[in-house]
Amino acid sequence: MGSSVSRLLRGPAVLYLPAALFLLVFFLVPLFNVAWMSFTEPDTGFGNYTAFFASSFDVGVLLNTFKTAAIVTLTSLIFAYPVAYVAARYGGALGSILLLVVTLSFWTSFLVRTYAWMVILGVKGPVTAALIMLGWSPPPQILFTTFASTFAMTHLLMPFMILTLYAVMRRIDGTYMRAAAGLGAKPLKAFTSIYLPLSLPGIANGSVLVFITCLGFYVTPVLLGSPRDKMIAGRIGDEIEQMLNFGGASAMAIVLLVATLGLFALYSRFFGLDKLWR
Amino acid sequence: MTKSDIRGVCSPEQAVSARAGKVSRRSFLATAAAGAALSMPTVRRAVAEEKVLYVNTWGGAWEESAKDALFTPFTRDTGIEIRTVAPVSFAKLAAQVRTGVYEFDVTTLGVAELGRANQAKLIAAPEKSILDPAKLWPGAVVLDGVASHAFGNVMAYRNEKFPAPGLQSWADFWDTQKFPGSRCLQRYAGRVIPIALLADGVAPDKLFPLDLDRAFKSLDKIKPHIRVWWSQGPQSQQLLRDGEVDAIGMWNTQVQRLVEAKAPITVSWNQAVVDVAYWAVARGTPRSENAWRFVNYAVQPEPLAKFSVKNDYGPMNPEAFKFIPEDKAKQLPTWPENFKNSIVLDPAKMLPQIDEFSKRFDQWIAS
Repeated sequence: MGSSVSRLLRGPAVLYLPAALFLLVFFLVPLFNVAWMSFTEPDTGFGNYTAFFASSFDVGVLLNTFKTAAIVTLTSLIFAYPVAYVAARYGGALGSILLLVVTLSFWTSFLVRTYAWMVILGVKGPVTAALIMLGWSPPPQILFTTFASTFAMTHLLMPFMILTLYAVMRRIDGTYMRAAAGLGAKPLKAFTSIYLPLSLPGIANGSVLVFITCLGFYVTPVLLGSPRDKMIAGRIGDEIEQMLNFGGASAMAIVLLVATLGLFALYSRFFGLDKLWR
Repeated sequence: MTKSDIRGVCSPEQAVSARAGKVSRRSFLATAAAGAALSMPTVRRAVAEEKVLYVNTWGGAWEESAKDALFTPFTRDTGIEIRTVAPVSFAKLAAQVRTGVYEFDVTTLGVAELGRANQAKLIAAPEKSILDPAKLWPGAVVLDGVASHAFGNVMAYRNEKFPAPGLQSWADFWDTQKFPGSRCLQRYAGRVIPIALLADGVAPDKLFPLDLDRAFKSLDKIKPHIRVWWSQGPQSQQLLRDGEVDAIGMWNTQVQRLVEAKAPITVSWNQAVVDVAYWAVARGTPRSENAWRFVNYAVQPEPLAKFSVKNDYGPMNPEAFKFIPEDKAKQLPTWPENFKNSIVLDPAKMLPQIDEFSKRFDQWIAS
C-alpha cells in the first residue's frame, strides 16, 4: 500500500490534491455542518423538515424559486443565443464589440445594476415616458411586478449564458454550414440540422449555470419584484438573521440542495450529464 | 473537464473564470485572509491584556462618524486599538457564541434583536465595576443592552400630492379615501405592526401587548395601496425622491437627507415610532473588559452627542443635548418636543410576541 501511495504521489493525480483539499475544507466540511444542524437544532430528529413541508408558505416559496429560475433560464437562452451566434460566427470587429459589451457588465455589481433597473423602469423613468409618448394612458406599472424582477434577473445572468454559448460555438467549424448549403440545404434547415445540435453542449452548460445561479438570488426580487416574489434564499436569510433559527434554515438549504440534485438526476437521465463536460 | 481539454472546448467554468480570473483569485485571497482573521482572536486569547477591541459596525456613514466621535478619541484616551468588522450581523453574533470564535466583541442591536439576543443568551451582562447602570440615566440599560441612539420611523409625503395641511397621523396615512395615492412601508414587522395599531386608533400607551389580530386586520386595509415594501435605507429615500410612492413610513435619518436637498416633501413627527440602538457585548468574549470600557465611553454625553448629530440620530443620554445646538436638536427623535409625541419601542414588552408576529408578517406579506 505504501508503494501505491508513493506511486500516486508521483503521478499526475497529485495535481488534484490542492483542489481536493480546498473542496474538503471550504465546501464539504461546512456542508456537512449545515446538514448536521438541520437534524440537531434545536432538537434531534426530523422536526425541521416536517415543519418545512407542513408549511404551505415555505413549500410555495420553494416552488416559486424553481419556477422563477426556469423562466429566467429560458428567457436568457432566447436572448443570449443570437448574440453568441453573431459573435462566434461572424467574429471580427462586431464580434469583439459584442463580447466587450457583455464582459463589461461583469465589472458592475449585481446590486448596482439592480438599482439601475429601478430607475429605468420607475414612474419617472424612460420606459414609462416612452409608453406615455406612444399614447398608453395611464401607463402600466412595470416596477414592483414579477415581470420587472424576472426581466432584471435575465439581464444579470445573460452574460454567463452568452459566454458559455460562445465558448462552444467558436469551435463549430464554419465549413459544415457551407457544406450543407453546397448540398442544397436552405439556411434554416442547415441551422436546425447542423448548427443547433452542435451547439447543444453550450445550451446545456449555460442553462445549468444560469439556473443554479438564479436559485440563489435574493436581493433583486426584493428590490424590483412584487411583494409576493419571495425566493428561498431570502427565506433562509430571514430565518437566520431575524429568527436565529439555524436548524430551520439549514433544513431549507438542504431541501434546496436535494431538490437541485434531484433535478440534475432527471436531466442526466434524459439528456446525459456527460454532455455537460463534452 | 479532462475530456473538454482534449477536445479543446472550453467548459463554462473556464469561459467565465478566464474573464473573471483576477477577481476570483483576489476574492480567494480575501477569503483566506478573512479565515485567518477569524481564527486570530482565539490564538490571541493566550496573550494577556491585549490592547485591541473588535467592533461590529454598519459601515458607510455610520462607521465614519463612529470613527470620528467614538473610536479615535477612545483609542487616544485608553490606548486600546479599535478594529471594525462590517456589516452588522445578528446571525454572526449567534454563531460566535456558539463556536467560541469571536470576530467582534461589541455590536449594536435594535429593539427586536436585543430581546432575542438576550433570550438566546448571546450577550453579556454589564461589568458593574466598569459600567454601572445606576450611574447612567434612568432606563439606560435594558435586557443587558446599553441604550445609545434612537431613530424615528416617521411619515413623509410629497407636497404636490397632499398639500397642506396634508397627512397628520397614521390614521390619515391609512385613509386612502380622503388621501388617495400610493403608500410604502418598511418590510419589518417590529415597526409596521405598532404603526398599523396606531392607525386603527389604539392609544400609544395601550399598544403592548400587541393585539395582533387587530393589527393584521388594519394591515389588510392598507395592503392594496402599498406599491412596494422597502427593505434598504437608501431605497426608501429613492422611492420618495423619485415620486415612486406618494406617502411613506421611513427613518428620520434617511428622510433628513431629502429635506436638506430641498425635495418637495413634508415630514411629520407626530406618532413617530422610535426604535433604539443598543450597544451589546458578545457573551464570553475574551476582551469583555475592553468592550465594557468602550461601551461606557460611547454613551457619555459629549462623544454620543458628536456621533448622533452627524447621522441625525437622537442621543439616548439626555445629557448629550447640552452639546448639541438647539436648531439641530429639534430635528432629532429624542428631542423632548419630538419625543413626547413618539412611541418608543420597548424590547422587554415586545419580546414575548416577537417570534409570532415576525412569522405571521412574513406569510401575510407574501399572500
